[in-house]
Amino acid sequence: MLISWNWLQEYVALDLEPAEVERRLMMAGLNHEGTEQVGDDLTIDLEVTSNRPDCLGHLGVAREAAVLFSRELNLPAAAPNERGPSISELTKVRIDCPELCYRYTARVIRGARIGPSPAWLAKRLNSIGVATVSNVVDISNYVLMECGQPLHTFDLNKLAGPEIIVREAEPGEVFTAIDHRTYSLEPGMCVIADAHRSVALGGVMGGRDTEVSNETTDLLIESAEFAPLSIRTTSRKLNLHSSSSYRFERGTDPVGVDWASRRCCELLLELAGGELAQGVIDMGRGIASREPVVLRLSQLKRILGIEIPAPEVRRILTALGNEEVHADLGSVTVIPPSWRRDLTREIDLVEEVARIHGYQEIPEDTSVAMWPSHRSDQDRILGQIRSVLTAAGFDEAMTASIIPQEWSRAFSPWTGADPIVSNTPMKGILADSPKELGQADTVRRSLVPSLLDARRYNESVSNPIIELFEIAKVYLPIDDKLPVEQWTISVTSGEDYYTVKGVIESLIRALNRDAVLEVGTTEQELLQPDKSGELQLNGRRLGFLGELTADGLRAFGLRAGTTVGELKLDALQEIAVLIPRYAVPSPYPAMSRDLNLIVDERLTWTELAATVRAAAGRWLETLDYQDVYRDAEKDGAGKKRLLFSFKLRSGERTLTREEADAIRDAIVTACQQQHAAQLLA
Amino acid sequence: MALADFLQQLDELAAAAATAFASAHDPAAVEAARVEFSGAKSGQLKTVQKQLGGVDKQDRRTAGMRFNEVKNQIDELHQAAVQRITSDPTEPLSRGGPYFDTTLPGKPHRVGHLHPITQSIEELKDLMGRLGFSVADGPEIEDEQHNFDSLNIPPEHPARDPLENFYLSTAQATGDGSLLLRSQTSTVQIRVMEKTPPPVRIISMGRVYRPDTADATHYPMFQQMEGLWIDKSVTMADLKTVLRLFATSYLGHDVHIRFRPSFFPFTEPSVEVDMSWGDDWIEFGGAGMVDPYVLESVGYDPEQVTGFAFGLGVERICMRRHSITDIREFYRNDIRFLHQF
Repeated sequence: MLISWNWLQEYVALDLEPAEVERRLMMAGLNHEGTEQVGDDLTIDLEVTSNRPDCLGHLGVAREAAVLFSRELNLPAAAPNERGPSISELTKVRIDCPELCYRYTARVIRGARIGPSPAWLAKRLNSIGVATVSNVVDISNYVLMECGQPLHTFDLNKLAGPEIIVREAEPGEVFTAIDHRTYSLEPGMCVIADAHRSVALGGVMGGRDTEVSNETTDLLIESAEFAPLSIRTTSRKLNLHSSSSYRFERGTDPVGVDWASRRCCELLLELAGGELAQGVIDMGRGIASREPVVLRLSQLKRILGIEIPAPEVRRILTALGNEEVHADLGSVTVIPPSWRRDLTREIDLVEEVARIHGYQEIPEDTSVAMWPSHRSDQDRILGQIRSVLTAAGFDEAMTASIIPQEWSRAFSPWTGADPIVSNTPMKGILADSPKELGQADTVRRSLVPSLLDARRYNESVSNPIIELFEIAKVYLPIDDKLPVEQWTISVTSGEDYYTVKGVIESLIRALNRDAVLEVGTTEQELLQPDKSGELQLNGRRLGFLGELTADGLRAFGLRAGTTVGELKLDALQEIAVLIPRYAVPSPYPAMSRDLNLIVDERLTWTELAATVRAAAGRWLETLDYQDVYRDAEKDGAGKKRLLFSFKLRSGERTLTREEADAIRDAIVTACQQQHAAQLLA
Repeated sequence: MALADFLQQLDELAAAAATAFASAHDPAAVEAARVEFSGAKSGQLKTVQKQLGGVDKQDRRTAGMRFNEVKNQIDELHQAAVQRITSDPTEPLSRGGPYFDTTLPGKPHRVGHLHPITQSIEELKDLMGRLGFSVADGPEIEDEQHNFDSLNIPPEHPARDPLENFYLSTAQATGDGSLLLRSQTSTVQIRVMEKTPPPVRIISMGRVYRPDTADATHYPMFQQMEGLWIDKSVTMADLKTVLRLFATSYLGHDVHIRFRPSFFPFTEPSVEVDMSWGDDWIEFGGAGMVDPYVLESVGYDPEQVTGFAFGLGVERICMRRHSITDIREFYRNDIRFLHQF
């Protein structure tokens, strides 16, 4: 809201520095956005929150200033001289849609002379950036900016009589506004119509056909109250926003409707002449009486933490326009003013007293009671995961939750259900991505596509090493329920399958030294079938790991190969041991042995290791895979050599060489029997 | 030339040679020292020798003897240095291996970096944790009940406009109207209060969504932190104090808090919070006392408990701290960006 400093003085004498007034207004709720010198005047830009439409006019701001600086408020009389015939002889009004238009008043002036506004009026409007048109139009704008009540002036002779009809728009009804643009209306919108057509879009904009021109002599002055929600919907649908719609959307003062009409007529008679018909047409609902609101003084201390003396409380409330109807030792009862519809509850009065008394009175050094706070298990686990991944050289990425459909289709390992789609796309987030991508409107089911795009971007700026992870939610739709929001950890690496698998193993070991990771098969189009797998942790699905196919790389515009992995957090959370228990390390020495076995090419490490563990028995401390070789000439086709080592240790005594050899032999025998393995001499 | 001057010159030369040969640890350095002092053309000895003729005749013999002594001394220093670098076990070359260049860079060990937003979030959690606030988590896909109704945002409120939110088109009927990506983390507070009797002292952090077009200062997704404290006698003075403790902990020096009246549907009184920044004030976030309507909607009795809530944008805090000028950098994930933090 732009306020003219000189204009403001007409209602409240402020013999103070403008900066001081700006500061106090800001500290009372009208945020100061800036001040500009315009001629000999200042234009002050104040931000008015949506609960305070009463401050969308100079009078409202003056009222606040008057309270803050304990000054008198000078309200114009708004008492025009009525001389003509009774208005009922000149026009009539009918409201057909009381749910859209609460109240409609009309006054008529005949014999007015249209012309330019006097300099003082033009200056007032220009100082707040309102263009001048003619005395009649300027006066209604002036009154709007004075008290916040929108008005509209019709050329009475252009209205096809005999009455004004306030009604809902017909489907497809066409209306040409004073901006000379044509709008197609629909039910739910309120129009002002004469016998033939709509002549104004109620509360939003007047119509071209009945606008005041230089030839106009007779005026109908409309001052009305429209339903806020309907005005907002209408404005949005038509993308037609005006000073009027802005105020009606937020709610206007029901008492101010007639005041503004009288004030407008007073100025018209003064500046354009003519004769005001007697009386007013005032249709629609009456002004509802306000319920009294009780403020218990104890509530101030309870909410604000400070005592405010009762006389000060009563002074503030009264100065703000509340009518005090009762006061006793413990409470004040007031009827809020008509222009303050936001005051209906006790807490509203608490806020009023607080903001005028001043928030600077509230201390910032109370003693706050101690209270235990617990770092959640999830946060602890995520902390460990982040430590392992950064130690392994991965940088943390953060990407948007909404992605293009194309990415969503490319990889969705957790669910086959269709993704959730947003009605509104995220705009501007794909600026660095290939142009041919559609809009980002799909709620993601995997983090991998977003990470691959981050990878592509890093390749495009020649970053040599791209190791990224992200921890975020994916959204898995479920029939008939809210979607599952699954915390997920994803990585993309320039290294191969085994390197990334090693990182995942480290990550698991950081949470639980004994958890068993297994790999099953998976069919993911994005991943190479042989170099990918579904990961299982203690028999439960953990996630997916694999190297991208050439097609997959191409789809994401990647030049170099990449391995991706995606894990779900709750599988890790389930096995995590946050408080490990101490186990006494054995004081006795360990015995280590190596084995080199020729086995079938298809024998997996998991299978062999299970056999070794079972055969080794309770003294097995570690079993470590070392290497794999192939020598088709010596071993025959379809064979490989698996080299591994193991360590034996007892917690009770030193093991003998013979015991260790016996265990090695037992392992060899078991592998021979179960896997037809041959010991390489 | 006086004899004394000549002799002093020789002494200085001898001392300089001793230092030069002692600090030579490889053949090139030893050879350089030899050329410097005994070089046939322009070695320093040669230069001094030329001045011998200028010494007074009666002193020339003494001077010549001293010159020969120094010359032999330097030759010995050279021999000793050659001997030393080839046979002294503490000299690298004596081991016969290649020269150990201590100035080569160490073996690279790549350490990843946490995203600056994560670093900020962790710091905020830590600071609020010390003030007794535990972290609460909640869904990002919300129903209108939690995102609006319980927060005192009625159906006709402009904040519910389809253009202001990411409403989702889902096949499933949830029975609670439309689903949307949450527009603030206050939804978590509602969910916690619905399940937990007071007192409650929590912060909720996470992604929130508003359909702004991405530019240098806006992103349609951002991270928010909201604090909530409900108890029998929580006041606005407690709010101011907690925010001051928080801001002071964050910045490491004493700051002051200023409230300016504002309007949010779920708090009353509502304020914009500023903190002192030198002689100026900077915007910190929004706050207020939880509206009695909100307390009632979660089953609390506003006559029994009061509380405050506050919220701030993590990106803004992070951008200010690190002088980041474009919010989109956070989501571009350029490794050159990530490695700065």
